[in-house]
Amino acid sequence: MMSSAFRNAHLTASRLINPKPFSSSSILHFLPLCSGDASPRRSNPLRHRNSVSPSSSFPFCSISSFCIPMAGGDGQGSHSLEKQFDSFRVQLEESAALREQIRAVVMEIESATRLIQANLLLVHQSRPIPEVIEKSKEKINDLKKFYGRLAEILRECPGQYYRYHGDWRSETQAVVSQLAFMHWLETGTLLVHTEAEEKLGLNSLEFGLETEDYLTGICFMSNDLPRYVVNRVTAGDYDCPRKVMNFLTDLHAAFRMLNLRNDFLRKKFDSMKYDLRRVEEVYYDVKIRGLISGGDIPGVQVTQGQS
Amino acid sequence: MLSCSSVFQRVAFMLMAPKLKPQRLHQIAETGAEQLVKKARTMTAESSMKDAFSTYADYLNNFNEKRERVVKASRDITMNSKKVIFQVHRLSKDNKEEVLEKAGKDLEAVRDQHFARLMRELQGTDFWKLRRAYSPGVQEYVEAATFYKFCLSGTLCTLDDINATLVPLSDPSLEPLQINILDYILGLADLTGELMRMAIGRISDGEIEFAQRICQFVRQIHRELMLVVPKMDDSYDMKSKMEVMLQSVIKIENACFSVHVRGSEYIPLLGDDAPTSYLLGAADVE
Repeated sequence: MMSSAFRNAHLTASRLINPKPFSSSSILHFLPLCSGDASPRRSNPLRHRNSVSPSSSFPFCSISSFCIPMAGGDGQGSHSLEKQFDSFRVQLEESAALREQIRAVVMEIESATRLIQANLLLVHQSRPIPEVIEKSKEKINDLKKFYGRLAEILRECPGQYYRYHGDWRSETQAVVSQLAFMHWLETGTLLVHTEAEEKLGLNSLEFGLETEDYLTGICFMSNDLPRYVVNRVTAGDYDCPRKVMNFLTDLHAAFRMLNLRNDFLRKKFDSMKYDLRRVEEVYYDVKIRGLISGGDIPGVQVTQGQS
Repeated sequence: MLSCSSVFQRVAFMLMAPKLKPQRLHQIAETGAEQLVKKARTMTAESSMKDAFSTYADYLNNFNEKRERVVKASRDITMNSKKVIFQVHRLSKDNKEEVLEKAGKDLEAVRDQHFARLMRELQGTDFWKLRRAYSPGVQEYVEAATFYKFCLSGTLCTLDDINATLVPLSDPSLEPLQINILDYILGLADLTGELMRMAIGRISDGEIEFAQRICQFVRQIHRELMLVVPKMDDSYDMKSKMEVMLQSVIKIENACFSVHVRGSEYIPLLGDDAPTSYLLGAADVE
């Protein structure tokens, strides 16, 4: 469009110069195009050549109505425009301050989780499970406190849980994975969603544990199990692979009931089968060497029987 | 090492001593009852796991379906808002009223049909959770609404203005869907692209003042947004939009510059070719 306009301009210029050179130069001075005061008095000898089209009897009106009274529109319009953006800045600053507060709590959650995790890692070194769990449980109270604080911060902005949710999402997933692992060590069962919420002192009405986060945390827990099995077997607990295998098989079957989207959770779920396979391998290794015989016989008793 | 060697000892022992078997069987018999209890417990554990997961499955299914419906509504809003934008682009000097009237009606239709649908889906909840699903549509709608408003009145359609038009659409008992600042700003950032096209079009149509008005307006928007962007939550998207916006501003400025410098040369011709040059206004001199 521009180029055609310029081509026109060029043509005009060459046409103009021939017949009345003076007029062309006078127009140049007479048409300060950005001045804004487009007055109909602006005369141009050339316009006489134009035929007046009926539809444009008030061409200037139509232009100025586009550009809404330049002066007035500018003053008033830009004032309300500025006001709006000022209020945007204020609102965004408030939300940034809130986020700041959230991040501070999330960092505490993160470090508490890390302590729990470090403590739970002792099970790989064959420390007695009750002792390990006892120590970790103390830390859960800290977590509970932190989540309470988080809920309190979010009470200030009702309905905006999901606006800030991303800020504690991955930390919460880690929390769930540690809690679930602990729960499994203790009871041999899966920590279900409501139990996890209970442990963290959350209630779903106000500040809940997002189902996706819970499920992702469970997947993280599954990632830790092969290592646990390997170390238990090394330590002489030959029953462990079967237990873990059964648990993981059930868990994997349960996960397959979910219709997942192609997202992070799906990816984590896909990785669960490798955990299961690894545990099966360990179980196979142990079983084929006769360290345990049938799946129903607990390894502890086998060892007892042999000694 | 110790445990390792003991493993091998035991393996060897077991291979050589099948005599142990009865003893083991005896043990099984002894713990049979315990075994049953244990088995029952794992059975319930398993079924409780299944139960728990079926509730998760329901939740995920419902939520994903809802998300899909929201995405669909968002797409429809996008598509129809684009049509409004194209309609506004059709304006020229002599058809302004009718073009904008139609655009206004189309915009209203987008609101009544598609935005209302989006609101019904959201039912007053999950505004933030599903934001990513509906954000593109809302942005496009903001773009269309502000574009229309600017061409109509030369002013910016504020977020409050837009939200006010949305309130009557939703069920009064529910919390109304309000476009959030972030989507509004993102939509506004896209507006400059459309205004750039409009400005270039108007210039070649001879409406220089309109183009200059656009130029000022876009400059102002760019300046204001520049101050707001660093405070936005996920400013990555916005930063790239700011780059594009600056390019648009520069294009408009260059076009205005060209007209300013050479305008005197081509306006008479436009008077010649275009049936509705504004220079005709001076016809009264005749």
